[in-house]
Amino acid sequence: MNSRRDVLKALSGMAAAAAAGPFASGVAHAADRLTIIAHAVHKTAATTGAGGDLTAAWRAKQGADIEWLTFGVEAVNERAFKEASLAEGNADVVFILDRYTGPQFAGMFEDLNEWQKKDPIPQMSEIPAGMTAAHTFGGKLTAVPFRHATHGLHYNTEFFAEKGIAEPPRTVEQAVALAEKLTYKRGDGVQVYGLVMNFDDPATPIDWIRGYGGDFITSDYKIVIDQPAAVRGVTMLCDLYKKGVLPKNSMNLKTEDVTTFMQQGRGAMTNNPFNRYLAYNDAKASKYPGKIAVVALPLGVDGKPMPAKTSVWAMAIPKNGRNKDKAWSLVRYLSLPENTIAETLNGNGPVRPSAYEDAKVKALIPYAAAEKQALASARLVVPGFANNAKAMDIFIEELGNAMLGNKEPQAAMSEVKKRVQPLLPT
Amino acid sequence: MQTVRRARAVGDRRTARALHYAMLGPTLGLLLAFLVIPAVYVGWLSFTTSTYGQESKLVGFANYAQLFADRIFWRAFWNTFFVVNGIVYVELLLGLGLAVLLSGPVPAKGLVIAVILAPYAITESSGIVMWRYMFEPDVGMVSQLLGRLGIPELEWSTNPVATLFLASTVAIWHHLPFTFLILYAALTTVPRELLEAARIDGASAWQQFRLITLRLIMPAVLIAVLFRYIFAIRTFAEVWLLTEGGPARLSEVLAIYLYRELFKYHQFGMAAATGVFMLAMSLAIALPYLMRMYREVQRGG
Repeated sequence: MNSRRDVLKALSGMAAAAAAGPFASGVAHAADRLTIIAHAVHKTAATTGAGGDLTAAWRAKQGADIEWLTFGVEAVNERAFKEASLAEGNADVVFILDRYTGPQFAGMFEDLNEWQKKDPIPQMSEIPAGMTAAHTFGGKLTAVPFRHATHGLHYNTEFFAEKGIAEPPRTVEQAVALAEKLTYKRGDGVQVYGLVMNFDDPATPIDWIRGYGGDFITSDYKIVIDQPAAVRGVTMLCDLYKKGVLPKNSMNLKTEDVTTFMQQGRGAMTNNPFNRYLAYNDAKASKYPGKIAVVALPLGVDGKPMPAKTSVWAMAIPKNGRNKDKAWSLVRYLSLPENTIAETLNGNGPVRPSAYEDAKVKALIPYAAAEKQALASARLVVPGFANNAKAMDIFIEELGNAMLGNKEPQAAMSEVKKRVQPLLPT
Repeated sequence: MQTVRRARAVGDRRTARALHYAMLGPTLGLLLAFLVIPAVYVGWLSFTTSTYGQESKLVGFANYAQLFADRIFWRAFWNTFFVVNGIVYVELLLGLGLAVLLSGPVPAKGLVIAVILAPYAITESSGIVMWRYMFEPDVGMVSQLLGRLGIPELEWSTNPVATLFLASTVAIWHHLPFTFLILYAALTTVPRELLEAARIDGASAWQQFRLITLRLIMPAVLIAVLFRYIFAIRTFAEVWLLTEGGPARLSEVLAIYLYRELFKYHQFGMAAATGVFMLAMSLAIALPYLMRMYREVQRGG
């Protein structure tokens, strides 16, 4: 039987081991383990799907592990900035979305132009200049584009057939008319809404406003949301809301809610990223697997392709990172042309247009051609600047006021201009 | 001899004082580390402009000036004011009513108390999301039931008053067990002989409650109200998980305003100024209750 002294000795030993353990293991792992802060879609694109686990070969070659820390969209960016602002960070590679970044954060990240000079990513110039520009501030490339999320028009083919509609809309006016026609109560009592959109940020409404020839903030930082073309787009959205074509809780809907609407057959059309096709048609979650198709957005009122919203996720290396050589090695590796194709097969929006020409991609991704077409005229939601988050919130707030009928569309959009103007870079 | 005795007495007092401080030390240290220093830091931050990756710059009262000039801040303030008062007093009335009811003979009392306490065992976010789905337009169970009865749906996703009503209802549902437990425990300590004597003297049930029970449980009532005020001022999850303060930021409360400044706009100075304002608001509300409690204790002593 153990004496009291033995027990105490054993307990103190355990306590010491427990106290030292995490520290010791942290030190041991720091050199050969990369910590990545990302969204789950990035991890999936790099590790899971028809393209396989791309990181396996890199890990084997480098003798390093990868720890993926995944969060929601807002939280990824928040966590990335927080880690990068510390004296010594725990993150080696962080994923940043264009509309969350800005010049004020540039100082916290490595200038990847310098790394590109030392150990270049092959055929980097293939990545569209607009994508790299979204993460370039004062000539510094703060992050290398990894994924784009470009909007297409998803529609439920069963509802189209039920209403005798043969094909998706070709123009923005047709889309509006079809949305009205597709708002109806089905035989089973389910209310179908012709158009479903998320209003948690300007990404979805901005498509329609651009379809009418308007915009919010141009790439040279001019606010044009109060101009007649934009107001026409806003007025159209308000009309659709008043008519019940948009669900009454539209202003409360987030991306996930729109997915649920489409999966449950409560929405006939939505403009959302192309790769949502997989979720909308997921046999395990959707009541309409294989029946939700996606095409490029219809033509705008000017007869030109409606500029689809795109966003660009990119990989940055915090200046306070502990293992920048390995971090760049991974960024470079994930950006290789052949790996971009594999990531596309895993459901990623490829930043290299050539990926769309790959035979496997063409065979496995039914929307590849449409996405490529949409990407050609796609635009970011807003250009990068220090106060873009606040500017987007103001836009959504005033759009909500117009849709609720609290303000006339013109008055609401003039108010946006008045409030956003002081936030723009001078 | 006397000098020696005095010296010993002084030595003893010093030892006692040293021991006293040694015993208090860890607690004071913790308070200093986790309350005082962070509070001072937040106070300092409120006088700076600060964001990730940039040096803080002192700006005096500029953040406060910007805060008080912002109509959304004032809307959030008034929303918080109405929500907090609604939650605290409705919860108090319900908690007191249930506690009084259950302090008498009630069948299956244990089961009833367990049912009342159950919401406290549910994770806050799960509970809120459950309520949200029940009231979801078109498809929520409650919305459908109301529709079948010919009663209009609660328009919580478009009408800010309805949003705040639903958020308050969820908060009351979730925190009622806290108020109920405090008051129920206090009621069990009221001496039966006092009530019996009053009844013999001809006091009605209402008079017994008002003049004896309520007076005796008043310290507990004050504690319940004080704590609930302090917690309710920080109301966040109920509104955030329902509408994130929308539509059009019309149902925003102060904690959401602070969250936006901190986590969306990364304006730490503005967020700190909002936090300091909320702290001052809590103190202003707590002070009269604390003074009243102090008086009650003094009177009791």
